[in-house]
Amino acid sequence: MDGAHVLKTTEAFVPRTVSLPRRRLRAWRGGLQGSEFTWAVAFTVPYIALFLAFVAYPVAYGLWLGHKPSLYAELFADPIYQRTVVNTVLYVGIGVNLKMFGALLLSGFFMRRGWWVKGLLLIYVLPWAVPALPSFISIHWMLNGQWGLLNNLMWDVFGIDGPGWIETSRWLALGSVIVSHIWKWMPFWTVILLAGRMAVPQELYEAAEMDGATGFRRFVHVTFPLLANLYLICTLLSTIFTLGDFNSVYFVSGGGPALSTHVLATLGIRDAFDIARPDLGVAAVMSSLPLMIPLVILLMRKLRTTEVRL
Amino acid sequence: MNRLSRRSVLRASLGLAAAGALARPFIANAEAKTASVWWTQGFVPEEDASFRNMVAEYEKASGNKIDYSLIPFGPLMQKIVSAVTTGDVPDVMSHDAGSQNVIPQNAYHDKLVDLTDVVETQKSQYMPTAYEGAQYYNSVTKKRGFYMAPYKLNATPFHIWSSLVEKAGYKLADAPQKWDAFWDFFKPMQKKLRDQGMRGVYSLGLQLTTVGPNDGNVLFHHFLMANGGSGIITKDGQPHLDDPQVKEAVIKTLTYLTTAYKDGYIPPGALSWNDADDNNAFHAKQFVIDLDGTISTEVALIHDKAQYDDIVTLGMPLDNAGKPMPEQILVEGAFVPKGAKNVEVAKDFLKYVIRPEVTDAYLKAGLGRWLPTMPSLVKKDPFWLDPKDPHVKAYTEEGLVNPTVAAFSVYNPGYAEANSQQIWGVAHADVIQHGMTPQAAAESALGKIKTILAKYPVVQS
Repeated sequence: MDGAHVLKTTEAFVPRTVSLPRRRLRAWRGGLQGSEFTWAVAFTVPYIALFLAFVAYPVAYGLWLGHKPSLYAELFADPIYQRTVVNTVLYVGIGVNLKMFGALLLSGFFMRRGWWVKGLLLIYVLPWAVPALPSFISIHWMLNGQWGLLNNLMWDVFGIDGPGWIETSRWLALGSVIVSHIWKWMPFWTVILLAGRMAVPQELYEAAEMDGATGFRRFVHVTFPLLANLYLICTLLSTIFTLGDFNSVYFVSGGGPALSTHVLATLGIRDAFDIARPDLGVAAVMSSLPLMIPLVILLMRKLRTTEVRL
Repeated sequence: MNRLSRRSVLRASLGLAAAGALARPFIANAEAKTASVWWTQGFVPEEDASFRNMVAEYEKASGNKIDYSLIPFGPLMQKIVSAVTTGDVPDVMSHDAGSQNVIPQNAYHDKLVDLTDVVETQKSQYMPTAYEGAQYYNSVTKKRGFYMAPYKLNATPFHIWSSLVEKAGYKLADAPQKWDAFWDFFKPMQKKLRDQGMRGVYSLGLQLTTVGPNDGNVLFHHFLMANGGSGIITKDGQPHLDDPQVKEAVIKTLTYLTTAYKDGYIPPGALSWNDADDNNAFHAKQFVIDLDGTISTEVALIHDKAQYDDIVTLGMPLDNAGKPMPEQILVEGAFVPKGAKNVEVAKDFLKYVIRPEVTDAYLKAGLGRWLPTMPSLVKKDPFWLDPKDPHVKAYTEEGLVNPTVAAFSVYNPGYAEANSQQIWGVAHADVIQHGMTPQAAAESALGKIKTILAKYPVVQS
């Protein structure tokens, strides 16, 4: 029931003798009268207070902290920040798309029948189910060039010294971070897309089969068009989450080697607390808003009920 | 059960408000005798137990109450920065790296309470470097003042695996005394050890890191001083970044460190080591020698006697000109932010903390990882110079008995921000990763420092 409908219903029961301001007041109160309205306010006030204290105030305070143009001039002139922006674009662009496309393909695989497929799915979702921090710290140790598991294995099996995955090369380290992010989050999106695939009516596949569409053609002409909206919304959501992702980068590469793999979320924390410049840290994070706001608007538009369909 | 009505809710609310108003003087009275304290969590449980004991003794003696939180190193810095930024501060804060970051910058911006009356109670006890190292420049008063109550300091000794030196076929006693030659002595050991099957071993654990808070800066500053660049910031707070001698020392330092890295004598991960990484790498015998603040490296192995005794702790050799090198110490202490609700109790508590016998008991419980700031203590208490513990003795001699100087950030708060930005670590990376020459990296680093210092003019009246 939307607001306009409430208004109409309320108006229908208003006696003609009631004055216009009084009718407006009642309409403003959503048709609630007397103690009903008081109770409604009493129940709403704590939520509003919490919202103001823990959402509105911190956001407004953050905007105030990072409002000086000189902060952005300082940031844009900093080569570390410039590198960080490139890293953020690569991390989000490559990480999200590889992850979502992989999830789309794997969701098809997990639609297959058989107990072993269900067993594999159980194992596959484990990275998502385990806590993020110990996982990323373990990856950090495994990738250590001197004593990490990966290089020790390479030495024991092939007799070769592996590279310093997160220690010497920016691109190897950024690649390691992206792979870790995909490993952690692809299972989650696979399950979401699997649920989407399950909602596709079986009759459509049967009809397509009768028309001769099987295998890849069935995917292109039936599955993908039906999942396209869900896929887009999931990709938008994942992009927003990944833009603010701190853990994958901080605990896998630590922003290294030599500050070369920071993303905006981790650079903001470095500037705020390691350099003790909270204003600069907030400005670093705020600088992602020109990308974040259009994404949120696009997502809101896609989330309108008319748009979400299989 | 009675039905709730609007009147009953209003009555109950009014009743609560009245009770609160009546109770307020009692609560305020209790608050007047309470100070809230944020303190760095100890390295060993005994250190925290000793802190709790110190607080209990103070409460008994004063009748005041200390509402304290012992918080790990990393999160505490985040809490301190957030608190000072928002103004919602406790009465006392103490962080193990406060002198390198939050204290100089906030003293400059007049956000800390002057603790001269606290420090003066023990003026005669402090060693001159600690006394000087607790003073910071305030841009409002335009003079230096005590914005920290110093109760501990740390020096930076060498930590060496004697078993690795011997396994490589060398004797530590043969090590040359001049700075660069001393480091060079350890380089050939790497090949000798690798030839014996120690595949991942390196000679030097030099922290060329871009990650804070202190290790990379402390290492660079020791090399800088050994190369004659100690005049980069003078005691009047003035920078001398264009001084040819300073510039030459910076270039020599960058050249030595980055060449050692590129020649493969330093673990590749050293570029991003954090505060604990070098200690962990040392314990894993990834390298033979490093230069690292405090004796936490040794103390972490105190319950493994064989390993503990295998490490050699050494003070400063001679500089590259063959002259004795003073040790650059970091003095740490507690500070009181402006906006603290109970400055009186905070100061009273700090006067208690810096008493010689109190600070001695507290630091001893930390197994000597931090040194006291009062030379008289090491004369009175045999713990500090006991030859049975070679680590504490060597460390005490380096930081408290031999000549010392204060950190550059003590004299210029802008240099503290340069430290925080890890300008020297970035210069190493510029040479190693981006192919700059040491000369170009030095120019770039000195230029960045100049820009930062321009935000913190020091004009002493």
